[in-house]
Amino acid sequence: MTEPNKKNSTSKHIIAPSPVANYLLIGAGSMFTATVIAGFIVGYALDYIFGTMPIFFLACGVLGFIGGAQKVRLLTRRLDQQATQKTKDESNVE
Amino acid sequence: MGTVEYIQHHLTNNSVGEGFWTFHLDTIIVSVMLGMLIIGVAMRLGKQLETGTPGGFQNFVESILDFVSVNVRDAFPGHNPLIAPLALTIFLWVWLMNFMDLIPVDLFPYLFQLITGDSHAYLKIVPTTDLNTTLAMSLTVFCLIVFYSIKIKGVWGYTKMFLFHPFGKFFVPVNIIMTLIEEVSKPLSLALRLFGNLFAGELVFLLIALIGGTLAVGAAALFWAPLQVILDLAWLIFHLLVITLQAFIFMVLTIVYLGMAHEEAH
Repeated sequence: MTEPNKKNSTSKHIIAPSPVANYLLIGAGSMFTATVIAGFIVGYALDYIFGTMPIFFLACGVLGFIGGAQKVRLLTRRLDQQATQKTKDESNVE
Repeated sequence: MGTVEYIQHHLTNNSVGEGFWTFHLDTIIVSVMLGMLIIGVAMRLGKQLETGTPGGFQNFVESILDFVSVNVRDAFPGHNPLIAPLALTIFLWVWLMNFMDLIPVDLFPYLFQLITGDSHAYLKIVPTTDLNTTLAMSLTVFCLIVFYSIKIKGVWGYTKMFLFHPFGKFFVPVNIIMTLIEEVSKPLSLALRLFGNLFAGELVFLLIALIGGTLAVGAAALFWAPLQVILDLAWLIFHLLVITLQAFIFMVLTIVYLGMAHEEAH
């Protein structure tokens, strides 16, 4: 993690997203698509090796979909945390 | 030439060989020439560096250097002397390759056809609208990711990432496949994003250029010709933003992925 995040991780009240996470958010959509495609590619390769077409192809496609959705969820969850924290902070001030 | 033939002609590379060993000559030559341009300009600028008050061009290059180094500082943990030069090279090279998209779509193919005397000669001058270029670049970055992952985490640490991530020690076969998919998706997302954006941009330029092809002799030309000019200009201005953004994203995600490879815990 970058230096500012080390500081942030020690604080209980500030959940600032790291610049790294912000940059990753740029590509959240294409990351999801690429993970699904990567699933099918890995599945195709495994089926080619083991001669089991289309078992791995379909199974890895589904895993790719799940993995992609999970990645996007993890990335976007930070935004929810930020919003919740901001609302809490504002209500505390009032 | 019909509409479909026109588009197909502009989206076909000038290639030699066949099957797996097909070489897209236009892609290779243009990308190498742009790389040489960067090297040439950098060498020339390096010889004429001014320490006092820098000139306009030196100022411009220094601002790009600052921009890249700030991004590397933000997104990359620790220190690796390779990352900033790599990021700068990627940004400049991808930007220049993308910039070829802003040259009028018919200009170079037409000149090439005049030179070769072949009215059907193919020439596609935007290397990043060729999936081979973007995949080659992203696979190079991927090789660096694997190299640094193994270097920093060790062979066992890297293997552990495949065995126990993301579902823990009881789902090792699923973990291996999931991590494999995640790793493969990194170069894929890098390559497909750049290729998709630039290919779509090129296609829109071609569609706008087709308006000129429908120019009728007479009063209709008074409507279609200005429309093409306005649309072309609007798309060009918007695309200037797209090519810069795509070069920036490719650079930043390279830094981020390499940064993740440099972290002890995944």
